[in-house]
Amino acid sequence: MGWAVLLGAAAGAAEPVAASPEAIAFFEKKIRPVLAESCYKCHSVEAKAQGKLKGGLFLDTREGVLAGGDTGPAVVPGKPDASLLVKAVRWSDPDMEMPPKHKLADSIIADIAKWVEIGLPDPRLGPKGSAKREINVAQERGFRSFKPLAAGSPPEVKNAAWARSPVDRFVLARQEAAGVTPSAPLSREKLARRAFFDLTGLPPSPEELAEFLKDQSSDAFPKLVDRLLASPRYGERWGRHWLDLVRYAESNGYEFDAYRNGAYHYRDWVIRALNADMPYSDFVRWQLAGDKIEPGSYDGAAATGFLVAGPYPGQLTAKTEERIRYDQLDDMLSTIGSSMLGLTVECVRCHEHKYDPIPHPDYYALAAVFGKTVHGTQQHTPEKEAAKAELDAHRATLGTLVAALRKFETEQLPARLEKWSQAAVPKPAPDPRWQTLDVVEVSGTQAILESKPDGVVAFVARPKLDPKAKPANDPNIITYTVVAHTFQKNIKAVRLDAIPDKKLPKSGPGLAGDGSFNLADFSVTASPANAGNKAAPVKLKLTPGQARFAEKEMPVANAVDANPATGWRAKDKPGVENSAAFAIQGGFPGFDGGTVLTFRFDFRADAIGRLRLAMTTEPFPPQADVIIGPPAPQVADVFAGGADFQHLRELRAMLDGKLVDANRADAVRWLSRFDEPSKKVFNAVADHARKVPQPKPAEVYTAVSGGRDVFLLRRGEVDSKEGKATPGFIQVLATKEPGRWLAQPERDPRIALGDWMADSEGGAGHLLARVIVNRVWKHHFGRGIVATPNDFGAQGAMPTHPELLDFLAGEFIRGGWKLKPLHRLMMLTAAYQQGADANVQNQQRDPENKLLWQMSSRRLEAEAIRDALLSVGEKLDTKMFGSPETAVESPRRSVYLRVKRSELVPFLTLFDAPDATRSIGDRGATTLPTQALTMLNSPFVRDMAGRLAKRALAKGATPEAAIEQMFLIAFSRPPTAAERAKFGGYFLKQKETMGGADPNLAAQAAEKAFAATCLVALASNEFIYVD
Amino acid sequence: MFNHHTPGGLVLPTRRKFLQQVGQGFGSLALATLLNEETRAASALNPLLPKRPDFAPRAKAVIWLFMTGAPSHMDTFDYKPELQKRSGQVLPGSDPKTGFFTTSGKILKSPFGWQQHGQSGTWVSDILPHMARHVDDMTFIHSCYVKGNNHAPASIELMCGTNIPGRPSSGAWVTYGLGTENQNLPAFVVMHDRKPRGDDQIWSAGFLPKTYQALALDARRKEAIDNVLRAKDETDEQQRSAIEMLRDVNSAHAQARANQADLNARINSFELAYRMQTAAPEALDFQSETEATRKLYGVGEKNTDTFGRQCLIARRLIERGVRYIQIFAGRGTGGDGSVDDVPWDGHDNIETNHRSCAAATDQPAAALLADLKARGLLDSTLVVWGGEFGRTSDSQGSRGRDHNPHAFTIWMAGGGTRGGGFHYGATDEFGYKAVEKKVHVNDLHATILHLLGLDHEKLTYRFNGRDFRLTDVGGHVIRDIIA
Repeated sequence: MGWAVLLGAAAGAAEPVAASPEAIAFFEKKIRPVLAESCYKCHSVEAKAQGKLKGGLFLDTREGVLAGGDTGPAVVPGKPDASLLVKAVRWSDPDMEMPPKHKLADSIIADIAKWVEIGLPDPRLGPKGSAKREINVAQERGFRSFKPLAAGSPPEVKNAAWARSPVDRFVLARQEAAGVTPSAPLSREKLARRAFFDLTGLPPSPEELAEFLKDQSSDAFPKLVDRLLASPRYGERWGRHWLDLVRYAESNGYEFDAYRNGAYHYRDWVIRALNADMPYSDFVRWQLAGDKIEPGSYDGAAATGFLVAGPYPGQLTAKTEERIRYDQLDDMLSTIGSSMLGLTVECVRCHEHKYDPIPHPDYYALAAVFGKTVHGTQQHTPEKEAAKAELDAHRATLGTLVAALRKFETEQLPARLEKWSQAAVPKPAPDPRWQTLDVVEVSGTQAILESKPDGVVAFVARPKLDPKAKPANDPNIITYTVVAHTFQKNIKAVRLDAIPDKKLPKSGPGLAGDGSFNLADFSVTASPANAGNKAAPVKLKLTPGQARFAEKEMPVANAVDANPATGWRAKDKPGVENSAAFAIQGGFPGFDGGTVLTFRFDFRADAIGRLRLAMTTEPFPPQADVIIGPPAPQVADVFAGGADFQHLRELRAMLDGKLVDANRADAVRWLSRFDEPSKKVFNAVADHARKVPQPKPAEVYTAVSGGRDVFLLRRGEVDSKEGKATPGFIQVLATKEPGRWLAQPERDPRIALGDWMADSEGGAGHLLARVIVNRVWKHHFGRGIVATPNDFGAQGAMPTHPELLDFLAGEFIRGGWKLKPLHRLMMLTAAYQQGADANVQNQQRDPENKLLWQMSSRRLEAEAIRDALLSVGEKLDTKMFGSPETAVESPRRSVYLRVKRSELVPFLTLFDAPDATRSIGDRGATTLPTQALTMLNSPFVRDMAGRLAKRALAKGATPEAAIEQMFLIAFSRPPTAAERAKFGGYFLKQKETMGGADPNLAAQAAEKAFAATCLVALASNEFIYVD
Repeated sequence: MFNHHTPGGLVLPTRRKFLQQVGQGFGSLALATLLNEETRAASALNPLLPKRPDFAPRAKAVIWLFMTGAPSHMDTFDYKPELQKRSGQVLPGSDPKTGFFTTSGKILKSPFGWQQHGQSGTWVSDILPHMARHVDDMTFIHSCYVKGNNHAPASIELMCGTNIPGRPSSGAWVTYGLGTENQNLPAFVVMHDRKPRGDDQIWSAGFLPKTYQALALDARRKEAIDNVLRAKDETDEQQRSAIEMLRDVNSAHAQARANQADLNARINSFELAYRMQTAAPEALDFQSETEATRKLYGVGEKNTDTFGRQCLIARRLIERGVRYIQIFAGRGTGGDGSVDDVPWDGHDNIETNHRSCAAATDQPAAALLADLKARGLLDSTLVVWGGEFGRTSDSQGSRGRDHNPHAFTIWMAGGGTRGGGFHYGATDEFGYKAVEKKVHVNDLHATILHLLGLDHEKLTYRFNGRDFRLTDVGGHVIRDIIA
């Protein structure tokens, strides 16, 4: 259509086509619904298609209205009284009363007149008779999936004795109507196996089976169901079902398929939430907006991983960025639609939904909910409780150790010291100009520091910032405080060494990318160690000092100029030790009873990664090194000479005085270098104190703020924007005004979305419940009441038991959206506990078993096959949660294997595990020769067969007994007589071919032959098909 | 054409074969009815059994030589004299953001010599002397374009119809639509060296049942198919008795569970697996070819060994009834700085890069055409050659070319294509954009499906409430290139 046509159409109008947004809103709200509801039946393209078009009049485009039908133009814009349409709806002409059966309400008629009067604002473009399907949202609310839950009570049945629960009456009523009869109950062994696999994805062990069989009470099975629901394996099993729906993977997909280290927290959250039986409504809310419901929390971030689990390209360019952003939104929307609502919304990205009543703008209203949501990572502490418990335990242990130390100090130290001093006291080395200080305490702001036994202070990590804490005065300043003690007098100088280390950037010694640091201020404060000494602390006066290396503009003097704006730095010396020495002006005499030296470092942005402190009591600068006059003293000499620990001199200084309570702690510190018992008790404290458990922050891949406004895109193309979209919901599922959920001004639209979704009064709650209830039913009965679990729309399957679906959904909501009671409700039915009778009449009347007259055996999912193999081979490791296993040989449950989109686990994909790009509601179960090859030849399956053989042989000494054990382990039942004979014969035959006739080889051949026998069991249908 | 040999005395139901033979005495309608009946009953057992196409196919099989990393059309098959003349000048209408990085906006001429070849007088650059000898068997589409401008999205688009992952690839669709002639081998085979950018997503079965997924053969691995070899400590006799025992045990199990076709299908799958153990290694055993044949493909030569082996194996698979083969040509001859997972990606230096990649792939691709033709297989085998997009006419840096989704050349040969060196569509005078008879991936797929006897609008699969097609919502059969 060219401009001429558009202009031509507009020429006849009192107002151009481009009407104001208010006018369009008026049309959308007041006029379109009326036209759709009352006129389109006879005056639209659809009516024409159905042969119902009347009077050649199309009211489904603006041009159609203007062109009119057989009696001429329907409307004269601006002139309601002259317009046929208005006359017709007013019923003023008896020959033309529209709609013919019921006159419209006066208010509606007035709206139509007003619409004509203001110039017919109408966005429905296109020539007469060209309109797309018009969606009548109000009418579509009556569709089976959108209408409110029916409050039907369970029907009456003839065979009331069969029904164990109301659910059974729904099932049986339909069977009776169709003339089919239910199957006999399953044997108890098989029922247990079914329940174990259904709820935990693992077979019962022979012991678990025996325990159940022993319990002959009438509630034995309900108790078993409760036990299984309480098992942590439940969350792993049903978590995996959920992960299918949400295209869960741990990598980007596309170009380089970059791995998302923090993605697995979502998987863990799902498993935890299911194990805790979190109400499903909250389960949904948290996935949509956990980060908004509980800002800053680990759980919130982990849950919202749902939104961002989809594929996303690692490489973007300006050309593709915007389109990919809409692709990303589409991924979120289509996943939400399929997994939670059973609706295909992605079609609506480009046009009105072809089958379901979802208009184009609904899509963009939903998209706008996520307008400020993008992929990202956050740092969180996953296990706060565990971290706290760990810290408490650490403190308790430390308390015990310190008490022991104190006891040692009072009871044994004097004797040890005496003994040591009476032995030949070692002399200090002749030339240790510097005494390395033993660090007593260390702390940092914006830095976690650790004191090492060799006097080194090491940077460990930056602490996680508490978002609620007040920001530091200058966030660029990082402060270290290091405390040492001395009993010596006349301290002449202090020294600082910055030590390189391979773990630091460019090997350090600084933490900057280039290995440098920037020391803005450095100071030393001396205070008395003995509380009895009331002398005031003294800030030592340091000379400008000397450094090994410094930039010209950033000399070491900057560190002691009391100006935080200037600093000492040496940028081009990565990986090389740097040092500075500062003389104390006039020397420091030292306090009686000992001195506490507090060294304070203020770094600008980049701190030192590893440092060591020393002092000297010898003349400084060293006498011999003094050079009179310029040039400046030779720097190298200042740092020359050996370095020794301070301990020996401290002890010598201390021995001159007296051991009093105030210096006992230091005394044991000094003595620990020379005396074994002191060392033992002192180090026990020091070593333990060093190991303060730090909360381990982990990267969580989650939704973070970002993104731009969302626009409505014609045909889904980013170059065809049609105005900004505002958050809203799917209209057909909103019988209340959107303000009900969005109203509060600060309400995050994602929280509102979750509330709308779970609102069964005016929102989508009834559909949300139907969809999840149907999924649970599907996993228990092999087929959903709606056989298309991801499609509850018009194209989806008709429910086989619509009243039952609504009953279950209603019970579910009334029970607080709890899944575990729902499992019970389904499993404690006669229908669930059926076997599969060969019933020819049933077969003829209902060949697809839609009426549930039997429970067909079902193939296990890939993960359950792998887990069951590990389980029977007694190799399964039930460790839960955490970083995914990268090795496919891992003995952990399959749900913990890594899901990298480009490198899926071959064993799992072979058995139909999804490729994690889209929501999968029904995996299907294919049968392929390559699966058979895996069961026959793969080292994994053969290994498990060998392990099963050993396990069975350990319990059954004879081949007969071992075969019985093999059956119990692999099939959860004893063998029949015929099977005993068959497997026994097979074992003997295999043994023969493996050299069993040779007495020297017999034992080995028997074991090998039994492994071969077990392989047949594992490869057989009974192992992976559960009745 | 190929015999279903059945080693070890296991018997596959050969009712279909029987019907085919008997059917020659019936009217073709009767045969069709019988086959359809049989297909319906049998497809529950095995969805891979051959299915009837929508109409008479021109091609039975496809071999797609995927030039990973995207060759430059202006340096291979799309000769642009204007480009040669105006090298260094500003490229009219150039957009420095067309590619993936940023380009100079200045024309870069092809560094290669160009000659006309064959009866058709088709221009081919000098780096492809072997393929140049077959231009008269080829049909060139010069006006291809895609939407994705990076390797993975464009490769996904070229294989799956849209650049969003999760849709089934063309090979999976074709297998779904047609089944396979040889149950002892996989229907859809992918061969690669280092995996191309995008990996398995490119040949994914998407939401189709995994029955239709590709078997990927990694040229770097000795045991090409997982678990295809019997365990070392097991004899054939032992394994056969295991399979017989399984059939016995499984039959008893199935008997107690009437009407569960999947149980019976699984019983059969073990017998198929047993046969695959022999059939697959036999099909992949290129060493059994004559020395002349191996030499033709360049097998054993340093530069061409990998791709030569892959092309030769492709021919062997086609002979044995495999339906759809894609070879992702990996690595050039080395030393040119190219990246193994996108070898043709000549960002830095188009000359050294393309010389190297051409030297690794030209002879084997030509050999495949020659060999198929000599064996009378070319008529029924569609060979497709091309990359995931083209390259820019202006330079990236001084000697490289960036990605160009707006234009590239694909050639096809055999399988009912027109041939004769026919040229379809065209780019502008610099090769910068496709301008004449533009061909999108959907059109390409529609045409390939058509040649295989499938109507691209009828080949649908319902997933999450929508009937999906390989051609999404587009696709027109390019009638002009069909013989």
